[in-house]
Amino acid sequence: MDEFEDQEIAKLLRLKRYEQPPPGYFENFLHEFHRRQRDELLRQPVWRICLDRAHDFIFRLNLPTLTSYPVAAAAVLICAAVISLQIYQTPEPARFTRDRPALGGFSAAGSADAEWTLASPVATRVFGTQPLRKSNESAYTHRAATPPRYVLDSVPVSYETTFKF
Amino acid sequence: MDQPRTDEDQELVARTQAGDASAFDQLVVKYTPRLYGLIYNMTSNHEDTNDLLQDVFAKAYKAIRGFRGKSSFYTWLHSIGVNMTLNFLKKRGRRFQLSLDDVDASIQNDKEFLEATATSSPVREADLSELQRRLNEAMMKLSDEHRAVVTMFHIQGMPHAEISKILSVSEGTVRSRLFYANRQLQNYLDEFRKNPVA
Repeated sequence: MDEFEDQEIAKLLRLKRYEQPPPGYFENFLHEFHRRQRDELLRQPVWRICLDRAHDFIFRLNLPTLTSYPVAAAAVLICAAVISLQIYQTPEPARFTRDRPALGGFSAAGSADAEWTLASPVATRVFGTQPLRKSNESAYTHRAATPPRYVLDSVPVSYETTFKF
Repeated sequence: MDQPRTDEDQELVARTQAGDASAFDQLVVKYTPRLYGLIYNMTSNHEDTNDLLQDVFAKAYKAIRGFRGKSSFYTWLHSIGVNMTLNFLKKRGRRFQLSLDDVDASIQNDKEFLEATATSSPVREADLSELQRRLNEAMMKLSDEHRAVVTMFHIQGMPHAEISKILSVSEGTVRSRLFYANRQLQNYLDEFRKNPVA
């Protein structure tokens, strides 16, 4: 098909623009549109109207911006709950050390001698991290310094390490 | 046909989204003639066009809150119009009657009409109603998709790019449909060219 025929077709088709609806049609169209909208609204069931109203309400509140607040609040609440659970479930070191004297064990190396006796149950003995006697002290000097009594040393004499220089 | 101002549309759309129904009324008034022409030239039936146009605006009003402005309102509204009309035409099938609007008397002053009737053209001898009938019959012999492209390009004067956005197809597809439709129209109108008052 050549260019001339294309143009001729185009010209003929452009004449279709002159096909127009009856006079007053466009002026009345908006009234007709409103009337149909009202009729459609009356035909709808109540639940549908309520759903549409709720939908409109949510859209007017600008949902995307509003959703950020509940999400942030929920995140804060979840974090607070997790942290509080961790705090209440872990044992407190301070309370544990307070309970130890009640069990008859040593609370600290310094006060061990006064409380540790044969009457104390062995099973409850708790070894401290600090040795009762320093490594450069011999068993003899230790005994000379302290009055003889029936007290179990934390480390038997036979287990004393010998130092050779 | 000139493209409408999009900034004005944006303001009216924003007001409608905020709940101002009168802003949507302004959009209806503004786009009714343009959309009427689009649907009418695809259906060739005034009553069907009226019903479809009402449905198009009703659907647009319901959906306008979801309109995010990725395309112009003009393109968005025409997409709704074309898609609803194509769906309607699929349901209607071939069982229809032409219900044509009257040709406006101002056509007598149209330069192209005067040229067409003054020279040795196919419409020289034919009367106006016969020309209108032949043109519409030729249009209705096209497939729905081809008729949509012809309507938007030749009758509404839309550019290829705009048509491709409305139909969600490539510009190449628009051009190819247009080429094929023109060839078909040429064949249908050949008989009219040879025997104008048949």
